[in-house]
Amino acid sequence: MRRFSDNPESFFKIWRKSLPVALSSPISAVVPTRILDRSEVARDVILLGLEAPELVEKVRPGHFAMALLPGGQAAGVALGIYEARGERCSLLFFLAGDRTHRLGALRIGDRLDLVAPLGNGFDCEGAQRDIAIVAGGVGIASVLLPAQALLARGARVRLFYGARTAERLVEAERFAAEGCELLLATDDGSRGYNGVVTDLLAREDAAEAILACGPTPMLRAVSAYAQERNIPAQLSLEEAFGCGVGGCWGCVVPIVRTSAQAPSFPPSDADGSDVVHARVCVEGPVFLANELRW
Amino acid sequence: MVDLSKFDVSARIGSLVLPYPTVGLSGCYGSGAEFAPYVDLSRLGAVVLKSVTRRPRMGNPTPRIVHTPAGMLNAIGLQNPGIDWYLRHDVAKFAQTPCATIGSVAGFSVDDYAYVCERLAARSEIAAIELNISCPNVAHEGETFACDPDLTARVVRAARATTDKPLIAKLSPNVTDIATIARSAVAAGADALAVVNTVRGMAIDIHQRKPRLGNITGGLSGAAIRPIALLAVYEVARAVSVPILGQGGIETASDALEFVLAGATAVGIGTANFADPRAPMTILDGIVAYMAQRNVRSLRDLVGAANTGFANINQFEGDEG
Repeated sequence: MRRFSDNPESFFKIWRKSLPVALSSPISAVVPTRILDRSEVARDVILLGLEAPELVEKVRPGHFAMALLPGGQAAGVALGIYEARGERCSLLFFLAGDRTHRLGALRIGDRLDLVAPLGNGFDCEGAQRDIAIVAGGVGIASVLLPAQALLARGARVRLFYGARTAERLVEAERFAAEGCELLLATDDGSRGYNGVVTDLLAREDAAEAILACGPTPMLRAVSAYAQERNIPAQLSLEEAFGCGVGGCWGCVVPIVRTSAQAPSFPPSDADGSDVVHARVCVEGPVFLANELRW
Repeated sequence: MVDLSKFDVSARIGSLVLPYPTVGLSGCYGSGAEFAPYVDLSRLGAVVLKSVTRRPRMGNPTPRIVHTPAGMLNAIGLQNPGIDWYLRHDVAKFAQTPCATIGSVAGFSVDDYAYVCERLAARSEIAAIELNISCPNVAHEGETFACDPDLTARVVRAARATTDKPLIAKLSPNVTDIATIARSAVAAGADALAVVNTVRGMAIDIHQRKPRLGNITGGLSGAAIRPIALLAVYEVARAVSVPILGQGGIETASDALEFVLAGATAVGIGTANFADPRAPMTILDGIVAYMAQRNVRSLRDLVGAANTGFANINQFEGDEG
């Protein structure tokens, strides 16, 4: 099976090396930040700009943060880090439940503590030069940093971006301004292709590699597409988190452990199966399509 | 900050003396190391490890966590590598933990508990053993060992025969009379009781018309269960005289003090760690500040101070008199 990257410093190799003692990244910390700017980029979609210079230094594409809600009393919210430049990081999220509404109620000047950066992100160091990024809904929040990294090393980046309606295709123009080619899809046909984004992906020329973030059904379709064509694909998974740092085993996904990993990866079942439950927060959130068994 | 050295906040659990009464709970604080980047673990009384079983366990399908009002449901299903792997690869690392490490044992038969307890307790890295006889997520229709006084006694007695280290029986709130179970555990040799595990619950997705947890049912934790857990501690403290590790929705120092006043010797912090990994240390600071303001030198003076019995029972006694 082809690997996305043979670069020995790739994130995947690092996390595989670190298994099974894969604790939270040693560079992560509780980072106090302050809200610099806040905008509602679409109805019920909030972009929070944070003053967090020390975080900008550490963030890699695909990393996420646990946003600790002011006053506690509810678990932190796991969010992909959208932008990281200069002294400013940002979080892009949909108002979906009580916890995201509490986050969305923050105002400029308010404090917000993050546990960050967390997880193993996208490997953007591969040799491929024609990359498809597939994003669905709020998954768009995790793919700007990899798009920037790929564009910076001269890759062609096509963004396949799907949402329910045109209004929900938030920040599409931002990606175009960065240099991505946009291929948009909406469920209701109000903008771009009328249908799901993975159908749009299948209609276009195949890329050399795929990066994807979005709802699980979309990721499954991307995974099937990529494996049929033997295209290396990295998928950033969404799963309900407890702690976000590897301590609760709430956010797992079945993966196959290879014979190389077996001696250092704990068995998950008494039958000696090579399918194990890995933590999305620590071993992920980015996995290779061909190692997932979901 | 208040000078901690002037106050005795130590907590005794059998022969184990914790310098602080705050404990990171099983399945909520990893092995401690996962939280080391964010807190000073030497300011934690102890960490209770995730439960280990005789054989490896894959655990439940996802979703395993659902956030609910004032708390969350979980159904992890005791995912763990099994005692063989655990002893060979994991336990030695716990020697590095800057606080006491309490092992946790789960099983599906009396013999399972004795077998795993004996092997785990033999290790010097493990200061005490929690018997998790109350996990609601692996049981048939929620029936656990801790739902039955006789089964509770049999597990505790079998584990007791394997070790002299402190044994903590973790009780379930999903019972009619927790005091009976508590008496049974203590009579069988438990040095302390953890009160309580999660409350059974579920959530349904109305759009997909199906349960939201992969396991269908789960265990509710967080502030939503705090009054339930507090009453359980109050009742258990009246029934037995061993130390109680009070737990269930403790988020703040004032929550922790309620549990102490109800009869808890120490307090466990679980779900609150997901809101802020620093929660146990913030709670410790708040407990000491409370003691300083009221000139309480020893936390032991507060244990059970509000536990004055039940009004309705006094009433009955009065009627009979």
